Amino acid sequence: MTNGWNDIAHADVVLVMGSNPAENHPISFKYVTRARENGGKLIVVDPRVTRSASVADLYAPIRPGADIAFLNGIINYLLQNDKIQREYVVEYTNASYLIDPAFGFHDGVFSGYDAGKKEYNRGSWKYQLDSKGIPKQDTTLQDPNCVYQLMKRHFSRYTPEKISAITGCPAETWGKVAELIASTHRPDRVMTIMYAMGTTQHTVGTQNIRAYAIIQLLLGNIGLAGGGIQALRGESNVQGSTDAGLLWHIIPGYNPAPLAQKHPNLKAYIEDTTPKTNDPKSINWWSNRPKYVVSMLKAWFGDAATRDNGFCYDWLPKASKPMPYIVVFEDMLAGKHKGAILMGTNPLVGGPNADRSAKALAKLDWLVCADLWETDTSVFWKQPGANSRAIQTEVFLLPMASSVEKEGSVSNSSRWAQWRYKAANPPGTAQSDLWFIDRLFVKLKALYQLDVKNGRTCAFPDPILKANWNYTHAGEEEPDVHAVAKEINGYAWANKKQLKNFTELKDDGTTACGNWIYSGSYTEEGNLMARRNGKDVGGMVGLYPGWSWSWPMNRRIIYNRASVKRNGEPWNPAKWVVKWTGSAWKGDVVDGGPTAGPSAKNPFIMNPEGVGKLFSSGLTDGPFPEHYEPTESPVRNLMSSRALNPAVKILDSVKNDFGTAAQFPYIGTSYRVTEHWQAGAMTRNLPWLTELVPSMFCEISVELAAQKGIQNGDRVRVMSKRGSIEARALVTERVKALRVNGRDVEMVGLIWHFGHGCAVSGDSCNTLTPSVGDANTNIPEFKAFLVDIRKA
Amino acid sequence: MSDKAFLLDTTKCTGCRACQVACKQWNDLPGEQTDFFAGPELTNPRELSAITWNHVKFFPVDRSNPERPVWQIMHKKCYHCFDANCEKVCPERAISKIDGWVVVDQSKCIGCGACVNECVYKVPHLSVRDDKSYKCNGCMVNRREVPACAFACPTGALTYGPRPKMLEEAESRLRAYKGGSFPSASLYGKNEYDGMRMIVILKDSPDKFGVPVNPPRLEITKVEHSKDMYALLSLFTFGLKPLKRSAYRLSRSMSGLENGERIS
Repeated sequence: MTNGWNDIAHADVVLVMGSNPAENHPISFKYVTRARENGGKLIVVDPRVTRSASVADLYAPIRPGADIAFLNGIINYLLQNDKIQREYVVEYTNASYLIDPAFGFHDGVFSGYDAGKKEYNRGSWKYQLDSKGIPKQDTTLQDPNCVYQLMKRHFSRYTPEKISAITGCPAETWGKVAELIASTHRPDRVMTIMYAMGTTQHTVGTQNIRAYAIIQLLLGNIGLAGGGIQALRGESNVQGSTDAGLLWHIIPGYNPAPLAQKHPNLKAYIEDTTPKTNDPKSINWWSNRPKYVVSMLKAWFGDAATRDNGFCYDWLPKASKPMPYIVVFEDMLAGKHKGAILMGTNPLVGGPNADRSAKALAKLDWLVCADLWETDTSVFWKQPGANSRAIQTEVFLLPMASSVEKEGSVSNSSRWAQWRYKAANPPGTAQSDLWFIDRLFVKLKALYQLDVKNGRTCAFPDPILKANWNYTHAGEEEPDVHAVAKEINGYAWANKKQLKNFTELKDDGTTACGNWIYSGSYTEEGNLMARRNGKDVGGMVGLYPGWSWSWPMNRRIIYNRASVKRNGEPWNPAKWVVKWTGSAWKGDVVDGGPTAGPSAKNPFIMNPEGVGKLFSSGLTDGPFPEHYEPTESPVRNLMSSRALNPAVKILDSVKNDFGTAAQFPYIGTSYRVTEHWQAGAMTRNLPWLTELVPSMFCEISVELAAQKGIQNGDRVRVMSKRGSIEARALVTERVKALRVNGRDVEMVGLIWHFGHGCAVSGDSCNTLTPSVGDANTNIPEFKAFLVDIRKA
Repeated sequence: MSDKAFLLDTTKCTGCRACQVACKQWNDLPGEQTDFFAGPELTNPRELSAITWNHVKFFPVDRSNPERPVWQIMHKKCYHCFDANCEKVCPERAISKIDGWVVVDQSKCIGCGACVNECVYKVPHLSVRDDKSYKCNGCMVNRREVPACAFACPTGALTYGPRPKMLEEAESRLRAYKGGSFPSASLYGKNEYDGMRMIVILKDSPDKFGVPVNPPRLEITKVEHSKDMYALLSLFTFGLKPLKRSAYRLSRSMSGLENGERIS
């Protein structure tokens, strides 16, 4: 989130799209309700009438996978009707920047496309530079090559008629949404956007979010209280896990994961990944990257990490190819992995193409499942259809402590790291995750030591033997979670004093820091994450600086420099976040350091240009969002001859796994309900919750049910090219066919909480979903695929 | 402590059912065995029971205004009537008020089912386990400052506070809704049975959501007659609860009152 949960209360308009917060983030509705009590309007855009839609002031239906058409139309509306916050747009975005005349777009494809590789050469997606190397600008926004004019051309194709034909949303309803959103272009009116997996889980997922960013920048809504873009994280600490680098493409603190070909040594890594700028107005915060990466290496490898050996950079694993979930499981199926450790994850329920994943697990020699309960995945060898005799995988099930049975921090979507204490001992032999990881490392190290001692050759022992790993005090059973937290904060190597924050980090080996964005969370003052002071400051917009600790620097609203004009006055004085007095900042911890004033420096400090990017060369699939159809779609693309996002790569091994609308005529989409939690291992074992939702079910319209002879509650079979499942049919008015390009398109909505383990079980929805992902992140396309349905 | 009430504002309810689960957790009630959904939409179980004292019912969605679908979601538990039929009809004084909240004392309950029959809202239920009557007690038995259901509500749809204040708040909100989003909105619980401790703002008139308008008063002469009859017959029950139960059921029949089926 750019802002935080409680800040949603300050919005004048709340746009809920690609999310269903009333059901999946119910606490957020405390703040959505407050916004509405203060006169705010709630817009819900969703294929179904959800529980969020049940309290909406304006509900707009949309076909799954058609978000960009809907949003690009909004961008067009803002530009055509001049409903933009012009001063903000000129000062704080790259609208006025001139783009290389070689940049172009034709029939769904941007310039530089290599059809063989399915990749763009982004050479033409760049600024025109002046003699000093600074991007050229036309602040009148008239130059035909300025971003503003390029946008006018690109987005003008998204007319209300086209939008309606693609999305299935009546043009009149879409128009009301556009008008309400546009009302926040005034500096004193603000909109927030709440999104989740309904936005991301598409082959155009990242571009969906780009469209939100463009809208919010045009409206001048980023950095303000009640504004911004809120990624609603689905699990209590999933924010913390991505902060800590638990994704294939990043290491802690959102530094890129080293790549085998491009980054053979630290120098090459730093040169390739550290952005440069000649613009004196740019703070270019990522120019500090070397300090953060070197300090992380120092924390990990301690005395062994020296300037001469590149701080042991060589010891980091380097990816020789992208390794997202789908590739990991394809490699597993190809026999490339010996074993797997699954902690708090249940891929046969949560991952795509579940039958295929089960076949992959059967190729492993061993599998460790560490969880609160027996998960569906841990019993994959005995699920219906499995031939237990033929499966040789040895499965270990390790009982783990729940969140209240261990101490540590949990980072929520607001970026608040909140310290929690242990309330009870875990039952039986259950252990904390930290105990398991620490013990695993210590045992591995002992085995390596034994090999070295006995003169046996062992592969690559240094990273294990020389790691700076010492978290369990002598005589103690449980590792000291405070020792871990202190290392994450960082300390001076010489005297082991805790650092104040990341501005003290160095790239010379004198500082150690596990994760730079958390630097400041555990200082010499103590554990700031454990603070619980509810006093507010500044414009009283709920910053609560003494409540827990939020990264970065305890800043509550990021990009907050953009909440003031160049003269330092807030755009929205009634709900101010920061203000510049001429010599100092007041309010929230300001972005980019306290000394530079708003006229001297640009507000978007993480971009080398220092301004918000309406045009961006940072993504693999285009500088502007463009509508493409999902990999499986019942309709052709009305915007171009390109059906699929040209930068999406489908693995050869699954290329025959996709169906057509002739075989599978209905749109399948997946989602969650309030009563179950993610892959269900935590909730399908709780009778209070299985009372509420006891069965795998799908939702279909009254019309489709009648056509198929299906009654409410009937058992039905839902089929895709990947497999078929049984479910109960909930026949409801909340689902209706959408009128897409002149014909009605029906939808089968499926919950994905079920699998074949746990106290209450059912078929896994993800048996149906395809192994194809977003062009940038590779997140699977769970939200739009093709199915058929019949009475079972 | 006394003169508190709940205010339920259905325009703010998102049907998360935290109230239903929190009630079971606080009162240590078991989950019910269900299959698919027992009522409309996501409703489960079908109704209140001896082990479900707080129930959320989902009505079919009304999409006559496609841009503003109305999906009424109804939180239901004991209304805690001031003039409570169940309390009046109980032959063993097992039902009484604690701080104004209607509470069943199971140690006195003989399981006659009179309260089950006389509650127009179908709130109390006899347990198949011990034949005694159970329902919401406003968290007066396992006491807490704010009842579990209201404490768990994330949106503020269900709140708890001094009744006059809740009523004032409800009336002011009702005026706003009637003039705005819900022209047929209504208030329930102000005057029914001399007032209730559940004050409810409904998106439409009560009958649309299964709540009776002008609920009938108890036929007090018949009740008194049945109680007199029971006083006589109970001399022959030797203090045994099954016999007492039969005696009261007989008294009711003789006084022209109905006897209901026992359900879980």
